[in-house]
Parts: sequence; C-alpha cells; structure tokens
Amino acid sequence: MDTKHILARAHDKKIREKGECGGAVTGLFQYMLDENIVDAILALRKGEDIYDGIPTLIDDSDDLLETCGSLHCAPTMFANIISSHLRNMHLGVSVKPCDAMAIKELEKRHQINPRMVYKIGLNCGGTLNPLLARQMIKLFYEIDPDDVIKEEIAKGKFIIELRDGTFKELSIDDLEEEGYGRRANCQRCEIMIPRNADIASGNWGADEGWTFIEINTKRGESLVEGAIQGGYLEAKNAHEKMLVIRDKIEDSMIRMARKFRDKHLRSEYPSVEEWDEQWKRCIKCLACRDACPLCFCEECELEKDYFMEDDNCPPNPLTFQGTRLSHMGFSCINCGQCEDVCPMDIPLSKIYHKIQRKYYRRTRFVPGIDDELPPMYSGEKI
Amino acid sequence: MEPKIVGFTCNWCTYGGADTAGTARLQYPPNVRLIRIMCSGRVNASLIFKAFREGADGVFVGGCHLGDCHYDSGNYKWRRRAELIEDILEEFGIEKERFRFEWISAAEGEKFQKTMQEFTDTLKDLGPLKKFI
Repeated sequence: MDTKHILARAHDKKIREKGECGGAVTGLFQYMLDENIVDAILALRKGEDIYDGIPTLIDDSDDLLETCGSLHCAPTMFANIISSHLRNMHLGVSVKPCDAMAIKELEKRHQINPRMVYKIGLNCGGTLNPLLARQMIKLFYEIDPDDVIKEEIAKGKFIIELRDGTFKELSIDDLEEEGYGRRANCQRCEIMIPRNADIASGNWGADEGWTFIEINTKRGESLVEGAIQGGYLEAKNAHEKMLVIRDKIEDSMIRMARKFRDKHLRSEYPSVEEWDEQWKRCIKCLACRDACPLCFCEECELEKDYFMEDDNCPPNPLTFQGTRLSHMGFSCINCGQCEDVCPMDIPLSKIYHKIQRKYYRRTRFVPGIDDELPPMYSGEKI
Repeated sequence: MEPKIVGFTCNWCTYGGADTAGTARLQYPPNVRLIRIMCSGRVNASLIFKAFREGADGVFVGGCHLGDCHYDSGNYKWRRRAELIEDILEEFGIEKERFRFEWISAAEGEKFQKTMQEFTDTLKDLGPLKKFI
C-alpha cells in the first residue's frame, strides 16, 4: 500500500498534555487497550528521574499516563523481552527504529510472531547514555541533574526543562565534539524513521501540538482509522509542505550519520594493535551476548568445552569475538547494547557494525529492513 | 621453523585429489596436516579460528568445484562463510595469505600438489603466526 501521512493528536485532554506533540501514540495505545485489540502495551515509563526508563507492561489504559513523554536517556531494547517472555500475548509496542529492526530480525527467525505484535514506531535521532547524560548536564549546563524534569531533542539541540519551569539548550554537535551527546552507535545510525514498523510517528514537519504519523502497513492503517473513528484520536491532513520539511530534516540527519560512520569505522577506527589492547580486558562475562537482541541460541557455542581457556586468562579474541562475529555479525543492527553492557568498556558495537558493513558491501543485505533472511542462510546455489 | 598448515579437505573431491597426488608420487611439502570432512559445507568459522588459536600458521580448505558438490550446494554455503571469515581475519590482523580455500577435484592431483607447494612457500616467507598462541 502507498504510505499515508496524517497529523494526529489524542482526544483525551490529560494524554494530550502529558504526551509528546499531542500524545497521538499514547492515544493510539488507549484505543488498543480499551477496544481489546491487544492484551497489553509494552512501553517505557519514567522511574526515579528522566534518566531512568523502565520497560513496563500495561493492561489498563488508566496507567498509560506514566508512559507519556520522551525518554532519550533510556536506551532500552524491547525485542529480547518479547521473544523471551511475552510470546503468548497480543502486544502493542512503542519502537525506536532499532527496536523495530531487532523485532523484524527475530520475526524472520521465528522467535516473535508478527501477527501478535503491533509496532508503533517512534522517530528517533538518537539516545543518550544515562550516566553520561548526568555528567554532561553538570558540566555543560551547570545544573544539578536531579533538577531536570523533562528533556527533548529538537532542531539539533538537547533541551532540558527544569523544576522551576526554565529551559536550557545546547547544540548536540557541540556536545558530541566534546565526547558527550548521543551514544556512539546512534551517531552512526541512518535509520531515524521506522518505516519497518506499522506506523512511524514524530514531530518533524508537524504543527505544534500535533504528531506527524506515517502509516506503513495495512495493520497500521486499520489501527489509526479505528482510533479516529472510536474518538481516541483527532486527525487532520498533512500538507505537502510538511512532508518536504520532514524529508529535508531526514536527509540532513542521514548525511550527518554517514559522516559519523566514516569517522567511527574508517578514519578513527581503532588499529589492530589498539583492538588487541581492548581485547586484553575482556573477562568473558558474556553480557554482550546476553544483551544482543539477535543472540537467542539455547546452547551457545561460546560456552562449549573446546573454547575454554585456562583460568585467569582472558579469552582468546579470535575464537571468542571471531565466533560471535561469524554467527551474527552480518546481521548486526547497530543497536549498541553490547557496548552499553560491557563492564570493561570495550567499544564492541564498532567491530560488529564494521563486519555488517563489509557484508553489506558484498551482498547488499540490510538487517532489520530487508524482508528476507541474510543470503548467508540460503539453500540456493549463490 | 617449518610452518604448520591445517588442511580441511572434502571427502569426495579434494581428499581424493590428495590421494591422486600420492598415487602418482607427486612430491609436496609435508607441512600440511589433512583433516577429512564429508563436505566443505561442514566447515564453519569456529573451526578455522580454533586452528589458528591452536598454533596453525596457515589454514586451507578444499572442496568440490562449484556445481559439482556431492551434496549439491554445500560448497556454495562454504564459500559464503569463507568470504565472511576473510573479513573477520582482517579485523584481527591475521594476514589474508594465511587462509586459503580452493576447489580441487579428485582427479586434480597436480593442482593439489601445486597448491600445497605454493601455500607452504608463502607461509615460509610470512613466518610463524605469533598472535593467539
């Protein structure tokens, strides 16, 4: 079907106020729960503060309010949660593009049933590491991080709202020059609009207080139409001009991402010797494998006897990382979880992304977007 | 130091090729330790990496010519993995000349001899693999 574009906002006043850009996504969730389209909604709620995003399963639409509002400092992934624990539920999930990519790869591998999950996409320019965000706010905004009650990323700026109602903003570019700002893999990511989800929602090109929704699938279309007819969403047409603005923003962000990718994976890519120094710190805790959305094998080759080394020796990087690279590197979606959870701060997502890029250059396979499994698994004579 | 080569050879083609070389008394260096596998499609990256980790200076994989695989498409699957292995070995600083894969049929004793000779000479020039031991 041709993609459709509309502007929407929640009908419910409370949701409209607390939600981002009119709360259309939360309004849609309210529709999905109240009309029993799904068993539950999987979303993120604010925990202690704006740096603490906790995945939460909601089955009562009254509880939706606590999931409203953006949480850029909580880079969680939902795919593992669904494939490991929620396979038997009909779900609506709010997905960043990387969540949608992970879910799609898992769907292809029969770990998630596509008919049980509605993917409500959120446009994403990148997330921040919560601890780094706190440091950044202390250093550059010169504010106690606990005084921040809301954050937003718009027009290339990281904007914070304080308890006393004032705002402060700084350019993301400047922050990233200093080594702060978005997570490294987000800086390289080219996929800001989750067209691999049922709908993609955001504020680029939209009027103030309205969410711009791009409808990508028939399921997404029937959801949005149902929500409008049921009185949960108000909608109006998206003018051609808004689409042009949105495309322009997307293009400039993609260009920026490509520059970062060149920097991280080519010009400033660690040398073999620098990588050797990194590998010396690895303790084979296997957190990277546990956090990776694509690693789901019950029996993992990394834990077999023939890969055991002497106690107190770091694992052999070729047999450990090399094996994992050969198993899922070519499907790596660059979500950055491996790097986030590594207790020794090894910049893992760089090498996995690099191997995926090499594979892309050979086969043109884009993980999380393409409908087919990678050609590596094919039974054909190719 | 003499280079140590681990050679995975498929039962139906390359292992037969090695046998043909032997029957025809074609001399080749004794550096290769042959491991017979039923099909090159059985070989995966962990075998190659483990061989390097255990002290191989070079790893060779021989399979049937494309289109002639005894199991129809095993060698195609191996070829896709071999390309990925090349990409990964590069990331760890292992020279690409240390990993070699060829398609050698059971009748091609001479090709087997020539390949082993060339590979051993190349590895003698490169020297022993110092990493990962």
